[in-house]
Amino acid sequence: MEFAAYRRVVGLFYRRLLPLTSLGSGLILGSAVMFGNWPLPLNASVVLMKLSTFPLIWYIGQRTWPDQHWFYCNLHLAQWQLWAPLVVVDTVGFAMLVGLIHQLAT
Amino acid sequence: MPACSTSVPAPGAPHVLEADGIQLKFGNRVLLSDVYLRVQTGQVVGLLGRNGCGKSTLLQTVFGARPVADASVRVNGRRVVPAYRQPGLLNYLPQVPLLPPRLTLTAAAQLLRVDAAAALSDFPELLAQLNRPVEELSSGTVRLAEVLLLLHADTQFTLLDEPFTGVMPVHTEVLAEVMRRVKPRKGLLLTDHRYEEVLALCDAVYLLHDGRLELLANPRQGLRDRGYISG
Repeated sequence: MEFAAYRRVVGLFYRRLLPLTSLGSGLILGSAVMFGNWPLPLNASVVLMKLSTFPLIWYIGQRTWPDQHWFYCNLHLAQWQLWAPLVVVDTVGFAMLVGLIHQLAT
Repeated sequence: MPACSTSVPAPGAPHVLEADGIQLKFGNRVLLSDVYLRVQTGQVVGLLGRNGCGKSTLLQTVFGARPVADASVRVNGRRVVPAYRQPGLLNYLPQVPLLPPRLTLTAAAQLLRVDAAAALSDFPELLAQLNRPVEELSSGTVRLAEVLLLLHADTQFTLLDEPFTGVMPVHTEVLAEVMRRVKPRKGLLLTDHRYEEVLALCDAVYLLHDGRLELLANPRQGLRDRGYISG
C-alpha cells in the first residue's frame, strides 16, 4: 500500500477512536488537577501513564465496534499496522499538549 | 491479473485456493473437523449449511482473520497464512456491514483500489449515491455496493458471506450476472441462505454438516435428500 493511502487509512481508524484516546488524556490531566500535581510536568511517568491507557482503549474499541477490523483486513493491514501509528501519534500529541500547558502555566 | 506474490501456475492454468486441517471446537461442540475446501479461478463455489453450522467461521479462517492452529490455506500449493495479508490474493465480505459509516462509496472504492463508477455501473441508482457517506444509505444499498466493490477489486479470490442479504430480488438477478462476468478472472466462494440463487450460480457446492464438509456431486439432489430444499 502506498504511504499516502496508508496515512489515510490510519487517519480513518484514528478518527473512530479519537473520543476514547481523548478521554484517556483527559483523565490523566484531570487526575493531575485533583491530586495537586498541576501543571503536570512532562516526564517519563506521564508518558507511561498515557501508554497504559491504550490496552483499555483497545478493549473498549473491540467491544464497541467488534466488526471494524474487517474493512482494514480487506486492505491487507494487520492490527498492529493500525495501532502502532495511532499509539505514537496520540502519545506525541499528548506529550506536546502537556509540555505546552506546563510552559504556559509556569 | 492481480498483483499477488503467490507461486504462479502454468500459463493458462487456474489459480487454486485450498484449505484443510481446519479443526475448531467451542467447548464440547465440534464446529469444524475434517474440512477440505478447494476453489479455483474461473469457478463459483457455494458453501451451504444450516444457521450456526460454522460457514462464517470457515470463511474467516480461510481469510486468515481467525487464527486456527494447524489450519493450512494454500494457493497454488504454497502456504498463505494469514491469507488476507497478501495483496492481490483475496478479499472477504463478512455478514456484518463492512464499510466504515462515515466513508463515502467513492472514498471506500479508492482505498480498495477499485474504479467505483465501473464497479457500480450496472446499478445507475448507486452511481447517484457515490459521494454520500455510507451511514446515510439504506442497508440494502450498502450491501449491494460492498459486494460490487469486492467483486471488482483486483484479487484472485473473493469470499462472500451472505452477499444477497437485504438486496432486492430484482438486484439479486443483476448481481448474479455480475458474479458470472467476473468469474473468468477470479474464484468466488460464497455462502447464502437463498439456495436457489446459489445453486443457479455455482459450479461446485459444499455442504457443511456436523462439522464436516462434503462436496455434493449432484447439489440439488443432495440438498433435497438431506432436507435442505423441498420439491
